[in-house]
Amino acid sequence: MSETLPTAEAQYDERVLLAKRKDSEINQAVLQPMMQTGRGFWGLVAALSAIVAWGVFAWGYLIYWGIGVTGKNRPVYWTLFITTFVFWIGISHAGTMISAVLRLLKADWRRPITRGAEAMTAFALMMAGLYPLIHLGRVWKFYWMIPYPNNRFMWPNFQSPLMWDLVAISTYLIGSTLYLYLALIPDMAMARDHTDGLRYRLYRMLALGWRGTEAEWHKLHRALGIFSVAIIPIFLSVHSIVSWDFAVTVQPRWHSTIFAPYFVVGAIYSGLAALATILVIVRRGMRLQEFLRSEHFDSLGKIVMVAGMFWTYFWFAGFLVEWYGNEPVIRELIRQEVSGRLAPLFYLQMTANLVPIVLLAFRRIRTTPAALLGATLLVNVGMYTERLLIVIGSLQRNDIPFNWGTYRTTWVEVSIVAMTFAGFVLLYTLFSRVVPYVPVWEIKEGRLRYTMRRIGRLLVPTAAEIE
Amino acid sequence: MPDVKASAERTPRWAMAVDLDRCTGCQACLVACHAENNVPVAGEKLAGYGRWMHWIIIDRYWEGEFPNVRARFMPVMCQQCGEAPCEPVCPVFATYHNPEGLNAQVYNRCIGTRFCGNACPYKVRTFNWFRPEFPEPLTEQLNPDVTVRSRGIMEKCTFCLQRIRAVEMEARAAGRRPADGEIQPACVQTCPPEALVFGDLNDPESRVSQLARSHRSFRLLDELGAEPAVIYLKGGETNV
Amino acid sequence: MRMRPTSRSDEASGTPEGSSVSLMGLFDEGTRTAEAIDALLAAGIAPEQMVVMSGVPYPEQALGRRREWLALPYIVLAGAASGFLFGLFLSVVTPHLYRLDVGGHPAVGFPPAAIIVFVFTMMATIVSTFLGVLWEMNFPRFGPAPYHKLVTDGNLALMLECSPSREGEVRQILQAHNAHHIGEPERMTL
Repeated sequence: MSETLPTAEAQYDERVLLAKRKDSEINQAVLQPMMQTGRGFWGLVAALSAIVAWGVFAWGYLIYWGIGVTGKNRPVYWTLFITTFVFWIGISHAGTMISAVLRLLKADWRRPITRGAEAMTAFALMMAGLYPLIHLGRVWKFYWMIPYPNNRFMWPNFQSPLMWDLVAISTYLIGSTLYLYLALIPDMAMARDHTDGLRYRLYRMLALGWRGTEAEWHKLHRALGIFSVAIIPIFLSVHSIVSWDFAVTVQPRWHSTIFAPYFVVGAIYSGLAALATILVIVRRGMRLQEFLRSEHFDSLGKIVMVAGMFWTYFWFAGFLVEWYGNEPVIRELIRQEVSGRLAPLFYLQMTANLVPIVLLAFRRIRTTPAALLGATLLVNVGMYTERLLIVIGSLQRNDIPFNWGTYRTTWVEVSIVAMTFAGFVLLYTLFSRVVPYVPVWEIKEGRLRYTMRRIGRLLVPTAAEIE
Repeated sequence: MPDVKASAERTPRWAMAVDLDRCTGCQACLVACHAENNVPVAGEKLAGYGRWMHWIIIDRYWEGEFPNVRARFMPVMCQQCGEAPCEPVCPVFATYHNPEGLNAQVYNRCIGTRFCGNACPYKVRTFNWFRPEFPEPLTEQLNPDVTVRSRGIMEKCTFCLQRIRAVEMEARAAGRRPADGEIQPACVQTCPPEALVFGDLNDPESRVSQLARSHRSFRLLDELGAEPAVIYLKGGETNV
Repeated sequence: MRMRPTSRSDEASGTPEGSSVSLMGLFDEGTRTAEAIDALLAAGIAPEQMVVMSGVPYPEQALGRRREWLALPYIVLAGAASGFLFGLFLSVVTPHLYRLDVGGHPAVGFPPAAIIVFVFTMMATIVSTFLGVLWEMNFPRFGPAPYHKLVTDGNLALMLECSPSREGEVRQILQAHNAHHIGEPERMTL
């Protein structure tokens, strides 16, 4: 992909073109890719389903034979499953950031992106939610974590961070799904009006009888406003709670107060980068070039860069204190990372996290899809490695040297991790064919609010500041 | 018959003293614990990967270069911490603090999150990675007083709670309290040089309490503040 | 869309003869709609008898219409309060009902209780927002309702009820403002 996005003049032309389009043309432009399911699409779905099926088999194998088929041992009790769990929760943060925060800030460039971002959140959370089940030694008793009166007179322990995980992730999943759905209703009405057959029946059911009266719009706006405000504390708390899975223990390197903001910022960094990756791919695959333009990637790239700078700050703040304190076990852990067995992973992490920050400072990179894709993929490689080092690397050392251990992965763990990655892509692909990918009503709403205005020699789009 | 437990006197706090000056590292305690508590044998390969199941293990460190090599032994079992870091993290209350100061592990409640294993700073908790196998005729030797655990369950030293209860019930039936030294976990009973002593820390006259007051006493990872109930004793150079 | 004859008989719409007539007109863009609404208001049609449907949300004041009072914020507040109380119950009351001591902590500590209360408050807030907005919109409503598919293609549909005597006047006003597809609204199943 050596395509570069257009220059400033051509961008202006793009926007004028979109401004000149009729509503019905926009509808068709968004609905057409949904109907097209060619060989490539089915090939992709088949491949992903195969990986997911293999992963499900591996999970069944795990349940039948026991956790021993993974590479876990004493003291490394948590490995790839918890790593990937934290990774997926991290990915899920971007959707809400874009949707809720930018909606509150009235940033117009969020409009085509919000649905793809919210879908990313919802599916990432679904994948993340599998892991607390997968990593259980006795998964068939998982329901004991649910507080219900029972004849055993037993109750779950609300002091445990895993219980906080359970409620917080459920809340966030419910919240993001409802948020996704609420903003989807007018577009379901649009799709209902332009399709027939099975799709018509589906969209009709999902549209709930939406007609677009003023009362309905008013209530929808109010509800979205409340949602946007409410979901921000939720998403901040979810990753903090996940970080406290580690920070509340006295395990060296885990027992750190900086974990909560460090993880949240890392999640924003990783999630926004994943969003950019996905948008580049979807833009190409569904031919949404008219809707996802260079200005969107430009702004998104800038936010990823800023998030990366934040991450670097928090990483350094944590690292400095550990390095300076010279506590023996932590010193050993740092030595492992800097010059020991973990060094390749550590340098991979730092390179893959820091290089994109520099790259994304250049407008050229931000607005070239291939370069943006590469940079943001690198970010997620780095962030996954970071989680690896935090979870597995730290557990290999502890206060009593006789208890130091090591870890080797197995096919079961890798298969199940691959299952969630394939599952996420599969859900996303199917989603893009069932639901209009760009929020059409929001784009039209945006069009209503901006016009071309002449300032001196320039003809610029200006957005109106109305509710 | 007065209920001895409910008497105005204190409830016991069970503790163990480990005299490192006596310990020879013979590992008889380890074997006895396996026999008493139905602990499975992991096998050489798994043990090498850190999946051994010993509830008490002799930590061994080598010091010095040949020919001045020294081995240091330290039997480490669950320290039955007063403020155990492993307890609050279990989402289903499979481990909790019982009134006698023991960190109790409820096998049939455990769903295997392994959070407690990570939280324990002594790493004394072991996990059943697979379904434990007791090849015939070892099944004849299983202790009926102790649950045989299946896969997916965390386990650890319980100070042979079944023996504590047995002696307490017998003593209560006879209308008295258990005498000092009457309760002996399997390791304490077996140790040839009598390096392990078990008793009630709340009884100032018990041997354990006296040893706890010794100038040789220290606790493992005391600075973490977990308040372990295992007291180690070490004087000058004794191991060669 | 079917054009119905301008007769006074309303057997299709089911209202008794002579009471009121429903009319709908489609407009291409917002300014004309606003002008049409103004003209209709001047002609004496009450605002409550007019409904505007659009595929794009127009700001409230753009069409000269009043804002409706919503029960939604109060529903959300009530939901949040109930979530708060439920979280309090779970984190502060139930540990005493199922008492087990762990790790040197008291049965109820401030940090875990705060987390649980916070999460349940937020969960109840969002669920009550969603259910509240559905309830206020009377969704899901799948029965026949006056609608036109062109609404989602960028047209604004102005639907109003007036007495049969004024129907001619109303049609004139609509035509004067370039409405198309003027006629009785079709009750489509939605």
